[in-house]
Amino acid sequence: MWLSILGLILGISLGLLTDIQIPPEYANYLSIAVLASLDTLFGGIRAHLQQVYDDKVFVSGFFFNIALAAGLAFLGVHLGVDLYLAAIFAFGVRLFQNIAVIRRIILAKWAEKKEVRETI
Amino acid sequence: MKKRILTRFTVIMFIIGLMTAIQYNTINEPNVRDTQDAGKIRQELAREKQLHSDLLSEIGSLDDTLGKYEAAADASPEQALRETAGKLRNAAGLSETTGPGIEVFVEPSLEAVAMGLEIERISPDLLIRLVNEINRYNGLYVSIDGKRIINTTAIRDINGQTTVNTKTVETPPFSIKIISESMEDSEKLYNHLLASRILDDFYIDNLTLTVSEPKSDLVIEAYDGAIDTKYLQASEGE
Repeated sequence: MWLSILGLILGISLGLLTDIQIPPEYANYLSIAVLASLDTLFGGIRAHLQQVYDDKVFVSGFFFNIALAAGLAFLGVHLGVDLYLAAIFAFGVRLFQNIAVIRRIILAKWAEKKEVRETI
Repeated sequence: MKKRILTRFTVIMFIIGLMTAIQYNTINEPNVRDTQDAGKIRQELAREKQLHSDLLSEIGSLDDTLGKYEAAADASPEQALRETAGKLRNAAGLSETTGPGIEVFVEPSLEAVAMGLEIERISPDLLIRLVNEINRYNGLYVSIDGKRIINTTAIRDINGQTTVNTKTVETPPFSIKIISESMEDSEKLYNHLLASRILDDFYIDNLTLTVSEPKSDLVIEAYDGAIDTKYLQASEGE
């Protein structure tokens, strides 16, 4: 777990230190990509906690979701419809659901541990 | 197995962190520094102020008209309407106009005469540039060789003839009359034309521009054609 957080910190610091910028027109796409990746990440954590984690699903979902969201936003820009809102909505809802499930699982585990400790 | 999951997560987290940081960088771009110097900013300010005062004077004149309408509403609405119509006709160039202005004579240059060169017509491009120059310096009403310039006037080449309002301009010499708002504006225009680079352009075409001193009451002919308003429509609402 700590290793993954280290990865996150490494990524953030690398991004901040190198001061990479993308053209502002593409900021929309990147924000959606970030959202999609967060969604996939929490989905993966949830699956892991529920013991249904699948490597292929996780990795393919990560890249596919990002590509789909960016593609949808791109299509939206060219059709004049704010399609990226659809992606934001879908990912946002799923994000909350996943986090809620994760929270419940962790709470359940915690309660279990406590019970075990009390019985001892 | 567990280790592999952890590696995957780490890589994904790394990518997310990178994307977030890039997004952060992009959104928090430092504002572009204003590198204009004080002079340029002053110029901009002057321009805006000019616009402001123009708008104010326009508001003032419209208020005047409004006041006149209101005052004349009881007495004679016809009178006010007629006055406005007259003013509009004047602005559109449909009536003869008198005012302070200058007269510009376009003549063949002395060299061309001495050399016995054939005097050619003035080119439409040159004429257009001259009119633009005049308009830039507060020329209000202009007539070229007796042809009044109005909003829809076209200066162009028709079958090798330079025309204004589709009427041929004579080969030089001919005169251009310009009326300005005030004597002061006329003087400004006079000085500007004397120093303008357009004189050189005329000289290249073997022509000279002679600018007369500002006169207080110059008369400019009315536009003699009919103004085609085929595509104009009355605006709706107020």
